[in-house]
Amino acid sequence: MEMAEGLVAIAIWLPVLAALLCYFGRSYGFRNAIAWITGIALALVSLALLAMGPFDYQPSGILGFSWDQVVTVADFALLGLILYIGLKNKHALITILTLIQLVVLVYFDFFTGEHAAINPVFVIDNLAIIMSLIINIIGSLICIYGVRYIAEHEEHHPVEKSRQPRFMFWLVIFLGAMNGIVFSNSLVWLYFFWEVTTLCSFELIGHNLDKEAVANACRALWMNMVGGVAFILAIVFLAASLPGQPLAIRTLLALPGGATGTILFAVALLVFAGFTKSAQMPFQSWLLGAMVAPTPVSALLHSSTMVKAGVYLVVRMAPAYQGTYLSDLVAVAGAFTFLAASVLAVTQSNAKRVLAYSTIANLGLIIACAGINTPIAISAAIALIIFHAVSKGLLFLSTGVIEHNIGSRDIEDMGGLVDRMPVTTIIVAIGVLSMFLPPFGMLVGKWASLEASTQLPLVALMFVLATAVTALFWIKWLGRLMEGEPGLARMKPEKMAPHYVVSLGGLALGAVVLGMFVVPVMNKLVAPAVEVAYKTSGLFTQGGSIVAQTATKTIGAFTAWPLFVVLAVAILAFWLLFKPEKANIRPIYLCGENTGEIDSTSFLSTADQAVELSLSNYYFSSSLDEIKLNKVGNVIAIIVIIMLLGVTVI
Amino acid sequence: MRELVIILLVLVAAPVLGGLLSGIDRIITARMQGRVGPPLLQPFYDVFKLLGKERFLVNQRQVLWAIGYLALIITSLAMLCLGSDLLVIVFVMAFAAICFVLGGLSTKSPYSHIGSQRELLQMLSYEPVLILLAIGVFMQNQSFLVKDIFARPEPLLFSLPLVFVAVLLILTIKMRKSPFDLSTCHHAHQELVQGITTEYSGPYLALIELTHWYELVLVLGLVVLFWAQPIWAGILLALAAFFIELVIDNICARMTWSWMVKLTWSVGIILCLVNLGVYLI
Repeated sequence: MEMAEGLVAIAIWLPVLAALLCYFGRSYGFRNAIAWITGIALALVSLALLAMGPFDYQPSGILGFSWDQVVTVADFALLGLILYIGLKNKHALITILTLIQLVVLVYFDFFTGEHAAINPVFVIDNLAIIMSLIINIIGSLICIYGVRYIAEHEEHHPVEKSRQPRFMFWLVIFLGAMNGIVFSNSLVWLYFFWEVTTLCSFELIGHNLDKEAVANACRALWMNMVGGVAFILAIVFLAASLPGQPLAIRTLLALPGGATGTILFAVALLVFAGFTKSAQMPFQSWLLGAMVAPTPVSALLHSSTMVKAGVYLVVRMAPAYQGTYLSDLVAVAGAFTFLAASVLAVTQSNAKRVLAYSTIANLGLIIACAGINTPIAISAAIALIIFHAVSKGLLFLSTGVIEHNIGSRDIEDMGGLVDRMPVTTIIVAIGVLSMFLPPFGMLVGKWASLEASTQLPLVALMFVLATAVTALFWIKWLGRLMEGEPGLARMKPEKMAPHYVVSLGGLALGAVVLGMFVVPVMNKLVAPAVEVAYKTSGLFTQGGSIVAQTATKTIGAFTAWPLFVVLAVAILAFWLLFKPEKANIRPIYLCGENTGEIDSTSFLSTADQAVELSLSNYYFSSSLDEIKLNKVGNVIAIIVIIMLLGVTVI
Repeated sequence: MRELVIILLVLVAAPVLGGLLSGIDRIITARMQGRVGPPLLQPFYDVFKLLGKERFLVNQRQVLWAIGYLALIITSLAMLCLGSDLLVIVFVMAFAAICFVLGGLSTKSPYSHIGSQRELLQMLSYEPVLILLAIGVFMQNQSFLVKDIFARPEPLLFSLPLVFVAVLLILTIKMRKSPFDLSTCHHAHQELVQGITTEYSGPYLALIELTHWYELVLVLGLVVLFWAQPIWAGILLALAAFFIELVIDNICARMTWSWMVKLTWSVGIILCLVNLGVYLI
């Protein structure tokens, strides 16, 4: 076996091995060591893959069986396990959806004749390398954070028998399944890894075992099984309409003239499966429900795994449906989710729910970009996948730290956190600002997506509205964190476990550095991945700028570095020129009715009673009702999805 | 080299221009109200006086955000003058406004909190129109670059008349004039005190005032884009828009934020869409 091929095997098998070790190693110290070693090893593996560049890999068999046979057996074992879960929880929907998949799988494996051999089953191309960097670096940081977090979690919520081993088992094995998804060329293998991530997320969401956790885990499971049914049906349709050809991604992307007829319908089913996994409307509720799980699970699901598998598949398939009505409707569906989820985020005071809606919104944006399907749009989609993973991972992990410290995840309880937890607050600020403002990476993606959207006016309009709403929910949160007590800030950095320092620090640094070096990121990482199918990436670099070009002319330019200089100068000017002294501090203005000293935050009210002032954000509860909005949004989204599947049949 | 000269010019000339406009504003407003009004240079006297005052603040982070506000407004103005991407300029302006908001939110003052929350809602109101302006420019020019606007012979006003009206609407918000002087205002309104700037005083308030001058030039610069060639016509157009805003300011009472959001999200956006739609058909 060559080295490159060995790396692929490590990326998939090391998490499996580490997961088993975590499961059977019953001491914290042992699991801790495993998490660190596995994390570092996986990160190095993904960097080595990046250094080697694209290649194909066809593993030989094992013990006289072909890997195809092993995957087939594993498929049945997996569905059997999910069927057992459905029966055990008396959940009819899960049971039925699993049975459907079992029947279709039996039909596919035993009644559709011999399938053409797929060679290679693994294609490690530029997009797969980008995804593996995200999975193995960000995912590993989250696992390192998780091993510590879950230990603290059990201190806060004592259990009879420690559930840490099984938690780490599912957390780590998730990474292996994700690597499998992004490396697979074979659709059958992809389907297998796809279902493994569904099972992992079920086990992780239900970790706390309380009623709500189990209910939400079951909801996540059935919704993702809907996607699973679509996926296996797509495979059967493809097998019928592509006789004698390998059922591989490469086959679909190399069809002369793109996908048509039944093949296009099958592609639409795959896109639909991507929608369920990426929690697009009307499937958003499973991701929101997933918050009941310990924070590392949310961080993992939202940033580097699970939901990213969904958008990965949609972006991966984009060349196959380029120029079809399906493509336009994918853009509309994504843009609608982007808008609806952004508006919903405004109504939330629970920080994790704000983050969850923001994830759903950004995934919608990515999917809309795939649907716009021009080189610039695909570049934007891939850039958004990268930068969103970094910033969102960061935000979830810091929310977890805050939650363990103040015992709440409500934004209204986080007022003035900058005085109590300055380091965490600064990290949240970096996370929030890097989500939607220049000069950070996410904005490069958003900018490119807006520039690409102009040919689909409805999509452009929804982008515009959603972009305006985005600032509202982020700044409401950041503002509460920033509201400081009167007086010179004491700014005593809080103590943090090394796990948190490494994971939070690494991601915060990543958000800033990737933003600074956005030109090479776009140039060296994103552009090659787009050029494979689109000949050009639409985004070029000129000096320190990213230039958007269509076939005929330059349409826009984004230069990040001068903005970083401006921000650095502003911060330096503040540091050097403005040195306030204690004598300069004055109390806040309370109409002269302040009680006591400079730092008092209470005022004299009726009958000279001291009243502590209280501040709160707007949540627009009288005009925006979360439940109603969700209902209306779901109806519209379902109509769009029916149209999306329908246009491929007509 | 040419770029450096432009940046220097922006740094030096824009506040002078902005201060003078602000002086003209006060004279015209006074005349409309039957007063004589202050001398033309009064805004400069005010700012210099503020600069000489003692430095009082509630906590030092207020200052960080005020500096950020100033730096990013100057940056967006410089980008506009350098002919950069209009969409990026709009985003940098958003960052600047967010710094202003965070400055207001960085104390526990209830008045500056109300002002900041309202400033956020003002952003929510004008942001869609600004981005639609950029998209409208793209539909006309097949380019988001400001320098390409200056390269076209025909004024944008003729092809984007309704977008222009929408921009006038949000100009009132950006200039913080009635009926949209919600977040802060020069007149004494009891329910708000000084709103978002309540906790700024002395040199720090001068910093905010200076930023507002730059911002005034910036938003009027956006109006100039509608008649970029010859540029004097655009400047006249901007001055006319400026005058209209003063008239509106003096004949309107302050409205509520919900009315503002409803107005821009209905009338403002529909104006843009109708205008852009005409060119799609």
